[in-house]
Amino acid sequence: MRFLIYQESRQGPRKSNQDRIAYSYSRDALIMVVADGMGGHLHGEVAAHVAVKFVVEAFQSQARPRLADPHRFLIDSITNAHLAILGYAEGENLPETPRTTIVACIVQDGMAYWAHAGDSRLYLIRDGRVEVATKDHSRVQQLVDIGRVREEAVANHPDRNKVFNCLGQGTLPRIDISRRTPLRSADTLLLCTDGLWGALSTRMIVEAVLRDEILKAMPELLNAAEARAGIDGDNVSAIGMTWLSEDMMDPLDHGNSISTKTMQMSDTATQTAGFGDGTPREFLSDDEIERAIEEIRGAIKKAV
Amino acid sequence: MSSQSNQPLPEGYKLQGYTIERMLTCGGFSLVYLALDETGNRVAIKEYLPSSLALRTEGDVIPAIPKENLAVFRYGMKCFFEEGRSLARLSHPNVVRVLNFFRANETVYLVMRYELGRTLQEHLALNRGTMRENFIRRIMTLSLNGLREVHTNKLLHLDLKPANIYVRNDETPVLLDFGAARQTLIEQQYKLSPMYTPGYAPPEQYKQRDMLGPWSDLYSVGAAMYACISGQPPQPADQRVEQDRYVRAVDQFAGRYSVQLLETIDWCLNLDHLLRPQSALALQKVLLRERDPEVTGRRTFIVSLHSALSRLAGE
Repeated sequence: MRFLIYQESRQGPRKSNQDRIAYSYSRDALIMVVADGMGGHLHGEVAAHVAVKFVVEAFQSQARPRLADPHRFLIDSITNAHLAILGYAEGENLPETPRTTIVACIVQDGMAYWAHAGDSRLYLIRDGRVEVATKDHSRVQQLVDIGRVREEAVANHPDRNKVFNCLGQGTLPRIDISRRTPLRSADTLLLCTDGLWGALSTRMIVEAVLRDEILKAMPELLNAAEARAGIDGDNVSAIGMTWLSEDMMDPLDHGNSISTKTMQMSDTATQTAGFGDGTPREFLSDDEIERAIEEIRGAIKKAV
Repeated sequence: MSSQSNQPLPEGYKLQGYTIERMLTCGGFSLVYLALDETGNRVAIKEYLPSSLALRTEGDVIPAIPKENLAVFRYGMKCFFEEGRSLARLSHPNVVRVLNFFRANETVYLVMRYELGRTLQEHLALNRGTMRENFIRRIMTLSLNGLREVHTNKLLHLDLKPANIYVRNDETPVLLDFGAARQTLIEQQYKLSPMYTPGYAPPEQYKQRDMLGPWSDLYSVGAAMYACISGQPPQPADQRVEQDRYVRAVDQFAGRYSVQLLETIDWCLNLDHLLRPQSALALQKVLLRERDPEVTGRRTFIVSLHSALSRLAGE
């Protein structure tokens, strides 16, 4: 696999960052996860934290280097993440279970598979426009579906934060699964929280993504969302991934791409953002220590 | 745990191709050794070993970590990794260079280039109150080159003090000890227990950590310059916020140092971060005498002079 990827999570003007995002890849599979802890609920960031951690760790243990069934994996790991949140709330005797949205996407064998619960979104951007996008599990999206609200009015609708389906709720969450979608070279997958899509129109998002190589376009996209949201803004988080051909000479590749060709069968590499903020102290696993050391050694070599 | 201190690795101990010569320093969080690499070059090796959590007794190599401390021990390792990450990205003659990073003896090690010289703190102890102005300006101007590189990489040092400014024998400085460095310029990623040294830490480092910025490191630079001329740091900022007993350097040390340098120190030591130099470059220009500090005290003096004059003119 060869791809360009960028992720960032910004606190914005809020008191805390309740978004958690991560990506991880093995030689043959890539996962991207975005979760938005729900502010109205106690410990929203804990729910987002547990969800992302849970799904990524399941990926790390199963993608060696391939997932047997990506669809199955998404349903199982997201359901288990939901149960883990309930378990956490019970273990900590929390009066209310913390809640979070989630959107996760797997790429394997040149095919993308995604799943979501809540109003964090995935866009597949192809040939300068949105090819597919997830549909929010929100009150306002229901109004759009029955023709009561126009698509463009969603971002400013008073009910836009009313999510009726998420992880950590009393009933089992509904997990929407995409179809198996073949990726083409230069396709971009964008996963983001409502802090991003709520501040910008779809057209602005697409234009910003296409303006430059994804590594440069993404920080600008987040800047634009922050600037537009102003002081009432939310946490803003997104992962952008541009799919490239295996060809070393891909014209879109300026030497910043990640190629998984030389990875060992059992290796995974993971990046997270938004973590470590107001969350319980964690036990650093041997794997995490090894990864941190590898990362530092890589940076030392690069800087010399 | 006990107040026993950790035993250093013994002389001649082979640590992944490095040979330990002796211990250089020992802090609460780590030990630093002088060692030789395989080609006989001297290096400094920092060993993560918080004395409150892990104990290495005489004759042992692997520290004993009580089971109940293991989680916290590993959590603290994150801080050590932060230092490694921060430094690995920086390659600058005025910032200590990391050469290697590895895991051994149940803990982790950071290998740095070793240079001949002594810390500014040692200089300060040797020449109490007699440090030459040109020396102070030179060391700080060059240190600010290193700090600019740090800030350019969206990092803050957050623990600048004379003990962390190492002066090579050719009188060029190297910034050390990035254990407190954070990627605060990007996002508040890690909220570990704040680390600071009283007297050198700016007020926002105690309470308003969302106000941290390049100006926070510049407060510390100001405090370090203050220490160079007075022998000790100014009153700690958390106390200054309660009751400010700071006497302006201009009033305390006039005659011994140029007014321009003393005003620069007062400028850096403003409690209000907006009144301090906002960038390392801005401070550097002043230390190079390309500009004068924007001293608020003097401005008000000029304003009051102005109004006094216009009153006179009016009468």
